[in-house]
Amino acid sequence: MSEPNDSTDDGDRRAFITKATVGVSVACSVFPFAAGVPAFLDPVSGNGDGDAGEIPWSKVASFSALPEDGTPTRFGIVRERVTDAWSTLTNVPVGAVYIVKQGDQVKAFNLKCPHLGCAIDHRSDQGDFFCPCHNSSFAFDGSVSNPASPSPRGMDGLETKIENGFVYVRFQQFRPNLAEKVPLI
Amino acid sequence: MKAIIDWLDDRSGFRTLIKEALYEKVPGGARWRYVWGSCLTFAFFAQVVTGTLLWMFYSPSAQTAWESVYFLQYHVWGGWFLRGIHHYMAQAMVVLLVLHLMQVVIDGAYKAPRELNFWFGIALMGVTLGLSLTGYLLPWDQKGYWATTVATNLIAEVPLVGVYLQKLVVGGEEYGHHTVTRFFALHAGVLPGALIALVVGHIYLFRRHGIHAKEPRPKRDSYFWPDQVLKDAVACLAVALAVIVLTLYFHGAPLGPPADPASAFPARPEWYFLFLFQLLKYVPAFWGAVIIPAFVVLLMFAQPFIGKSEKGHRFNIGFLWCLLIGAGALTFLAFSEDRANKKHFAAVEEADWLAKRVVEIADKQGIPPSGAVTLLREDHENRARHLFSSNCASCHLYNGHDGRGFPVDSNQSAPDLAGFASRAWLEGLLDYDHYVSTKYFGGTAFKDGKMATKVLKKFGEKEKALVPKVAALLSDIAGLPYQEPLSEKEREEGFNVFFDELGCIDCHDIEDEDEGSAPDLTGYGSRDWLAAIVSDPSHERFYGKDNDRMPSFVRDEKLTVEEIGILVDWLRSKSSADSAVR
Repeated sequence: MSEPNDSTDDGDRRAFITKATVGVSVACSVFPFAAGVPAFLDPVSGNGDGDAGEIPWSKVASFSALPEDGTPTRFGIVRERVTDAWSTLTNVPVGAVYIVKQGDQVKAFNLKCPHLGCAIDHRSDQGDFFCPCHNSSFAFDGSVSNPASPSPRGMDGLETKIENGFVYVRFQQFRPNLAEKVPLI
Repeated sequence: MKAIIDWLDDRSGFRTLIKEALYEKVPGGARWRYVWGSCLTFAFFAQVVTGTLLWMFYSPSAQTAWESVYFLQYHVWGGWFLRGIHHYMAQAMVVLLVLHLMQVVIDGAYKAPRELNFWFGIALMGVTLGLSLTGYLLPWDQKGYWATTVATNLIAEVPLVGVYLQKLVVGGEEYGHHTVTRFFALHAGVLPGALIALVVGHIYLFRRHGIHAKEPRPKRDSYFWPDQVLKDAVACLAVALAVIVLTLYFHGAPLGPPADPASAFPARPEWYFLFLFQLLKYVPAFWGAVIIPAFVVLLMFAQPFIGKSEKGHRFNIGFLWCLLIGAGALTFLAFSEDRANKKHFAAVEEADWLAKRVVEIADKQGIPPSGAVTLLREDHENRARHLFSSNCASCHLYNGHDGRGFPVDSNQSAPDLAGFASRAWLEGLLDYDHYVSTKYFGGTAFKDGKMATKVLKKFGEKEKALVPKVAALLSDIAGLPYQEPLSEKEREEGFNVFFDELGCIDCHDIEDEDEGSAPDLTGYGSRDWLAAIVSDPSHERFYGKDNDRMPSFVRDEKLTVEEIGILVDWLRSKSSADSAVR
């Protein structure tokens, strides 16, 4: 039986066939991945439905009910309308804040640690905020109180206003583990 | 680089593996007839990849399956394309299966020593069809829901264990969350896993016995690489291109309205199962779903033995051709029966409309946790169509149909209400020939009433010329949202005609509290007027004792005030042309 693919075959033709075969095979293998690339990249491509817009004011507490001595109080933030992909939900808890009264003003801090996003505790015995994940501690004005804290910045303060005796907060999240406060949209 | 490859080869021996894989001998040279197996492998590979990508978007539950597919289809960049490729590749796979099977049997490649591999092939075919069937339900739309209900009801026909088997597949007695989760686990886990195991065995056995060369051999022997690989790859690319073209042409896979157990939809399976669907019209379910398929599969398993003799081989080929032609004929019958069925056509049209409608609403307001089906159930336009269909369409028509687009079985007996109170509708009403036609009052006692015999019939040219003016006036009183209001002068003209020139006022009151003998036209066609006449047409203000069979919907508690409001708003919202069914 003769050897298949006799060596007398035209070399150019063989090279062309090999190249064509590799080319077409690669095209076939890439095709199904390529079909899904845009959809897969949707979260980072900016082509999807962004939900940007004004951050709403959330009513948090009655000003007079806050402790006079500046002890932080924790409140949940409830949004009237939240969209998550296809779902539209109403009255959804979206996070929590600490409110601290300072004279006739208030300060509000996002509960999330600016280090890596754990929920920060209030330690009444130590008189500070303390993150139970990586031991960052913060003073009641939000600044880092212990230099050994891994957090690169103080707690994330939020815009507040007092209207008709109620405290309102513009609740938002920030990018973790950066020295500056960069809002997440 | 070479050092790394050498190291890897030393530890794994992959070079030998590749050599063995690529330098398989192809007796008689590379041929196009050998490409089908590779095409199927490619199609399956594409399904695994696109399926995994779809997985990232799919949420398997009765309230989120349709919703997540909707979101992928309409709100994710390129989502429709990804879904379309998966959908049409599945169909291509079924076609390729048939081509592969026919090639193997016609070439005699199923005979000894390849019996076992032929059986692997039959099993692979079963798994692939199972994948099609389970995938059809996953979008949880009306089509998938109702068609799969039929399929799972057929499982119960299996002797002894059928009912239990059905419960296992459905995840309970009724369709719900666990139907979706089970079908999804089957579709994305169990069946692809089984398919991979079977394909490995199939390819191993294929390599063990080598290619079955179809005689006569056209050329000298060659190797799998590169000649046959090129042909295979070109064929795979052609399949991919065909699938891309289908996806672009149809703009992706269809997505019907969300599954609604309370809203019937004529169940039809995917086109390649239509022959089974059609068969069930002629034979009992037990025969169609169990005996006949079991007989066909058993016979196929026996084919390698039947094919030992030349006669047997010819029988095998003939049997498959008969099967194909039979299935083709049944499919054709199924299609042509549906095409001739006006009600089926209307149901498909309505489903298309609902699918568009629900997307419109969901785009605008998002979807509540109760699911998209509630958007349609609460939609006034959809509710109005249903209210008309079930309460009015036994006498009235709407543009010749029942409000939802369905033809009606019995003859119309009361006016067609499409474009009610519009100028065109009123001009028709005020013309004797139209008045006594079935489009208006031809089916009622009013065709012999005063208005017909004493008024309209006696209209001469002069009166007829005045009709448009009075029609414009009444239509203006109705204040329809799609019509321009009249100028002050035109209204005055209309009133002149109404009071003096035609003397309508002799029987009909207008902007007047008195009760004349004919319907009071004060506020004619307005929301309040229309709601009032539907609520109680026998009231003195309207037909009084002359009312011909129209029920008093509110007094008789057939409709609530809210429902009448929805119905009336809908009747007033569209001109007859806008409400026409395409």
